[in-house]
Amino acid sequence: MSKPSDLVQGTLDLLLLKILTLEPLNGFAISIRLKQVSGDVLQVSDGSLYPALHKLEQEGWIKAEWRPSENNRRAKFYSLTRLGRRHLEREADNWDRLSAAISHVINLKEV
Amino acid sequence: MRFERWLYSIPLRIRSLLRRNAVERELDDELQYHLEQKTQQYAAAGMNAEEARRKALRDIEGLELRKEECRDARRVSHLEDFVQDLRFAVRTLRKAPGFTLTAVITLALGIGANAAIFSVVNAVLLRGLPYPNSEQLFTLQSNQSLPDLEDIQKQTNSFAAIGGITKPALDFIGQGEPVQISGGLCNAELFDALGFLPVLGRAFSPAEDSYGGPALAVLTHGFWMRYFGGDAAILGKSIRLSGNSYTVIGVLPREFWLPGRPVDILASLRVVDPSAAKSRGVHFLHTYFRLKPSISIAQASAEMGNVDQWLALHYPEDNTARDFTDIHRHLLSLQDSIVGDVRLELLVLSAAVGLVLLIACVNFANLQLARCATRQREIAIRAALGAPSGRLIRQMLTESVLLSLLGGAAGLALAALGVRLLMTLTPADLPRIANTSIDTAVLGFTFAVSLLTGIVFGLVPALNATFFGVSAKLKEDTRTTAGGASGQRLRKFLVVSEIALALVLLISAGLMIRSFRLLHRIDPGFRTDNLLTMRLELPEARYREQTKQRQFHRELLEGLNAIPGAQAALVSELPMSGDYLTHNFVIEGRPPLAAGSEPEVQTRTVEGDYFRVMGIPLLAGREFGSQDRTGSPHVAVVNRTFVAQYFPGQDPLGARVQWARSDPPDWMTIVGVVGDIKHFGPGEPEEPAVYDLYSQTAQKWKRWMYPTIRGAASTGILLGQVKQRLWAIDNQLPITQVFTMNEVVAASLDHQRFNLTLLGIFAGVALALAVVGIYGVMSYAITQRTNEIGIRVALGAQQQDVLWLILGQGLRLALVGGSLGIAASLALTRYMSHLLYGISPRDPQTFAAIAFALLAVALLACYVPARRAMRVDPIVALRYE
Repeated sequence: MSKPSDLVQGTLDLLLLKILTLEPLNGFAISIRLKQVSGDVLQVSDGSLYPALHKLEQEGWIKAEWRPSENNRRAKFYSLTRLGRRHLEREADNWDRLSAAISHVINLKEV
Repeated sequence: MRFERWLYSIPLRIRSLLRRNAVERELDDELQYHLEQKTQQYAAAGMNAEEARRKALRDIEGLELRKEECRDARRVSHLEDFVQDLRFAVRTLRKAPGFTLTAVITLALGIGANAAIFSVVNAVLLRGLPYPNSEQLFTLQSNQSLPDLEDIQKQTNSFAAIGGITKPALDFIGQGEPVQISGGLCNAELFDALGFLPVLGRAFSPAEDSYGGPALAVLTHGFWMRYFGGDAAILGKSIRLSGNSYTVIGVLPREFWLPGRPVDILASLRVVDPSAAKSRGVHFLHTYFRLKPSISIAQASAEMGNVDQWLALHYPEDNTARDFTDIHRHLLSLQDSIVGDVRLELLVLSAAVGLVLLIACVNFANLQLARCATRQREIAIRAALGAPSGRLIRQMLTESVLLSLLGGAAGLALAALGVRLLMTLTPADLPRIANTSIDTAVLGFTFAVSLLTGIVFGLVPALNATFFGVSAKLKEDTRTTAGGASGQRLRKFLVVSEIALALVLLISAGLMIRSFRLLHRIDPGFRTDNLLTMRLELPEARYREQTKQRQFHRELLEGLNAIPGAQAALVSELPMSGDYLTHNFVIEGRPPLAAGSEPEVQTRTVEGDYFRVMGIPLLAGREFGSQDRTGSPHVAVVNRTFVAQYFPGQDPLGARVQWARSDPPDWMTIVGVVGDIKHFGPGEPEEPAVYDLYSQTAQKWKRWMYPTIRGAASTGILLGQVKQRLWAIDNQLPITQVFTMNEVVAASLDHQRFNLTLLGIFAGVALALAVVGIYGVMSYAITQRTNEIGIRVALGAQQQDVLWLILGQGLRLALVGGSLGIAASLALTRYMSHLLYGISPRDPQTFAAIAFALLAVALLACYVPARRAMRVDPIVALRYE
């Protein structure tokens, strides 16, 4: 499976879960939202988005249902499950700790 | 947590698997929606439609690849592959019905035979005894007397309960004819020891199990159903057994079971037969020891050892000769004591049937190899188109496992039939055989064997086809010159092992057949034809006094001998019936021996012209005559072995013997010597024996007898006449064990016949499979060599040369396989030596005969395809392919 090279493993999962905390979205909407929130820093191709979504669904973190989209076409909407919410909280904590630790190390003054 | 995840994922996976098309469509729709939206977005930004669409597609970086990644994410591809393989396998197998049928039948034979034998092994050896915590149950190999058992109870602390039981025959007048039933005289602790309590009513208490206690009876379930139709109102009623009344107080559960002969009614030994119960010298109780949970068997054995020494010290005359150090007093697990003798027998059969399966598997592998060869092109093309070899192997394995499971299912049906056949063949005394059934254990066994067969014997051809076949095959030209050298080598190896395996089985069966024929030809020492036998037992209540017993003997013999053309006599121990009785004895004038250490002889009590009726030859002196009566000097007749052992080179006539410690002395003068008979069965040696007379013996407890009647009339008519005469004397006396002597002899060979029949069947199946294997391989080899043969013929080879070329090839295989088979047999047949009589397990005659026979059959199997090769037309052959 191809992974976006500049994303730390698991980060994409985290981003997707975070985006879905607000409201259920379809794949295309998610891709737009990804670009908005991360700007050009995190480049997630459309291609790697769907396998990632399917994986999250298998893990039981998100669930999918078909319903009409805003332009009245049937689209597959993903929403966060209880399990996914818990996972996101845990992973977000981990992320905070990790990034804090790393930035602490990086910002050490050379003696 | 985990569970919650399954809540989401399991329905998804099942959906992915079962509704594959729907899931695929959704994936399509989802990506399509994305593409459309994206295209619109680009179009809105000013691109033309075509360009927008292309860009949207490019963004996704390979639509099909992404789809595959999504499928991977759903992680069911393994399972999907399997389903696909299975569908493919079913399709290909259906396209080759000949191959499929042959493979399934081959495997069904092998697996079915194994499942059948396993169900017997399972019932007899593996399934636990039907007692609660049966691993706590132990027994002593020798029987005990009740006083000894009481001392063991008092002086040991290792046992939760110690039960003892003896099984005398009792007369019961249920409906119509008097019948003999099997009584169980026991102590109250037996119920605790075995762990069974009545389902209805109660067992008798230790207080009731005392001298002079109330006459109470506990019925077994079978007896209750048979005679009282399962009526609970029987409780508290009284029934008459052998002239006495017993109050029924309980009914045992259906599961209640005793090793050996089943019993119908349980009663207290102390109440029913106080004199026997009190006698320390009467060792007639089967014992069951239930170990306390915290005690080890070593501790219990040590305690038993102490009791033994104490008993020997205090009651030397009854216990000295009962060797304490040897196994007689050794605690034996009940399971071992029951199945000990047949374990080896069943293991030999299991090994034999295992060989049959191996041969079937070899054939199966061979079939698949041949099939692979014809499919090599297909496999090569698929490999060339990019199928990874692992995937190819998996697909071929799926096919092979599917076949083996089909074979297993068919085998199970065969096994169900086979078990029914086995039940009609099994010797009556094979313990617990009646429990044989196709249960979950057998199902599991069959499934495991089938699966393993499919995997192991499918792997060989699969590996062969993919690793060795593929690359070579595409390079190979269209002409099959050498014909897949490695495949051919493998096939030859398989045929060689098949011949070797079949030879082992055939030799085993051959040994059994020869041994059985030897047994059959043995002179039993008496004439077995036209001899009707049966067992009678006089109930104690009505025949306590010997005068009454003797009057019965006299009247019965008079009546039976009055039947036209019939001659009758009585004997206490019928030859080959399994009955025997021994006594310690002393010879007058020999140095006295310590009490308990006198030699033992077989004792047979007769009345009437027994030796003449049986046709046992008189060797010296005289037979019993009319002058030997109650009150006349006591006489005895001995057999040849007795003379050889105790009067070597001397004249025994006129010497006097008596049973050890007879009180008052009861010397019997030896008046005659008769020939030995095969009392213990055709294969067993005779022991020293003393014949005495019912009319002279002081043993008033010897109330049983076997009338033996030689008559010209047919068995049915003779039996009718016997019943008429007997019941004219006593109309309440049941007749049991009615057999002709030929039937008794045949029954004594039941085990041999059972083993022989099964080994014979297995060997036959093995031979058939081996022949099919050889034939198949040779036919295939010839097809492969058609081209070469054509060239040979074109160059001037004669038909004979071609024939010998093929036969030679077959002969080489047969010789190699045969040699290996003989070597394996030499190593293996010694394990069946105890099943053989009169020949060595390496009997050269059998080995040679069977080996040559197999060689001949193998050559015949080659000859048929060889003849085809002989007629190869060079022109056709050279154009071939």
